[in-house]
Amino acid sequence: MIIKQIRHKVHVYAKKAPWQQRDNGLTARIIVSFAVLTILYMVFLSVLAYVGFGAIPTAIIAGIMIMAQWYFSDKIVLWSTGAKIVSREQFPELHDLVERIVARNNLPKPRIAVINTKMPNAFATGKTPKSSIVTVTTGLMDELETEELEGVIAHELSHIKNRDVLVLTLASLFSTVAWYLMRFSFYGGMYGGYGGRRDSGGGIAFVLLVAVFTWLVSFLIIRAISRYREFAANRDGALMTGKPSKLASALLKISGTMKRMPTQDLRQMESMNAFFIIPALSGTSFTNLFSTHPPVDQRVKKLMEMEAAMS
Amino acid sequence: MFSISSAHVTLEVKLGLKVTGRCALTFKAVSGTFFYEMEQDIKRFLGSLQPEFDLAFRTVTDSYGYIWIVFEGKSIEDLLAGLTATGDIVEERGFSDQLLAAVIEFANERQGGQQYLIYNYRRNNFYPFVPTGHKTRDIEQEMKMMSAVGEEMLFEKDMTLWYPLWDLPLRSRG
Repeated sequence: MIIKQIRHKVHVYAKKAPWQQRDNGLTARIIVSFAVLTILYMVFLSVLAYVGFGAIPTAIIAGIMIMAQWYFSDKIVLWSTGAKIVSREQFPELHDLVERIVARNNLPKPRIAVINTKMPNAFATGKTPKSSIVTVTTGLMDELETEELEGVIAHELSHIKNRDVLVLTLASLFSTVAWYLMRFSFYGGMYGGYGGRRDSGGGIAFVLLVAVFTWLVSFLIIRAISRYREFAANRDGALMTGKPSKLASALLKISGTMKRMPTQDLRQMESMNAFFIIPALSGTSFTNLFSTHPPVDQRVKKLMEMEAAMS
Repeated sequence: MFSISSAHVTLEVKLGLKVTGRCALTFKAVSGTFFYEMEQDIKRFLGSLQPEFDLAFRTVTDSYGYIWIVFEGKSIEDLLAGLTATGDIVEERGFSDQLLAAVIEFANERQGGQQYLIYNYRRNNFYPFVPTGHKTRDIEQEMKMMSAVGEEMLFEKDMTLWYPLWDLPLRSRG
């Protein structure tokens, strides 16, 4: 009996893990790409500062680098995710679907890209609404019904309309600038106080501490903003299609919740003691703080409230 | 359990769902005279209520070995009183572990078919169940039910615990 329970526990746990991975895989690749770039910049600028390059020229170089990253951000995202821009000839139905939504809501038509993967996902990039790109995976198109896909694309279009990419880039810029300011003021203080003794062990530890703190705070702020923008995009996307419940069921499908909806009868589950095991697995407050997206059940709940208000 | 008496109004206003006058309570049957006595007890008790309460009942044993006490009545208050009293008898007899679920049936004239609120005794909360066939369900409609009454009653927020009860014996079979 005990073995049976443990097996069931493992089963429930193993079921949960891949769903969490699938939601984050694509985002993780983008974040890693940008994080590697940021670290490269920081190392480069630190070297410049170390060899005695002045603060103002270094700041100018940093500015150019940030502008370049901003300018090439679309290409970096496409490259890091393996997304390909697709023409109307390649995906006529997808183009039709996007055109329907933009025409109805008086938005410029974005470019459309597709990633060839079974994992259902979608995202939007672009500095301005006109130059934006909406990317969907082939898995998303396979798994969702037309109305659900419409809901997801409307959600992504609202990200573009609300200029969320710009907002988040500015937020990240703040953390980058904070980092540089901290570094330079530290070196300035060093020159004044210790007569240029740069490589004191305590000093480096202090820089590291402040750096980690700066990064952590901005990380949490960016995540909070991002979660708020997600709710906003859900609301606006649902208004674009007029069918909140379709976006809700799309979210449930993408997150894998739909697949985890039980089909096994309550009377069968009862004999497996399932109800004592599952509550022990819920520890969501930590993931809430760190995730860029609000939990699916919260998003679904808000959408269904909209649905109830609209019907 | 009595949160149903206000929740059913909300369901009618928001989703056009009406109580059909059918509900049921199910518990696992175990062998032994003790259990047999309890069954008789329930039957006697509900029988004694008959003139005052507008409530008819019958018992069904399903293929999983669960006993169902199925009630039919016009007033929701009578139905809920029947469910609660039966639940109490089962618990008094020391079989509270055997209690599985209570089920209240709803229907929408436009949509057809039955929709249910299931009360899970183990978790002490409700969840929706909208079967559309032998092994299929309408999750979208279930979510609508949750958004309608999820806040005013103890509700199961984790959808992965919305275990179905296929082929409910609430409608008499032949």
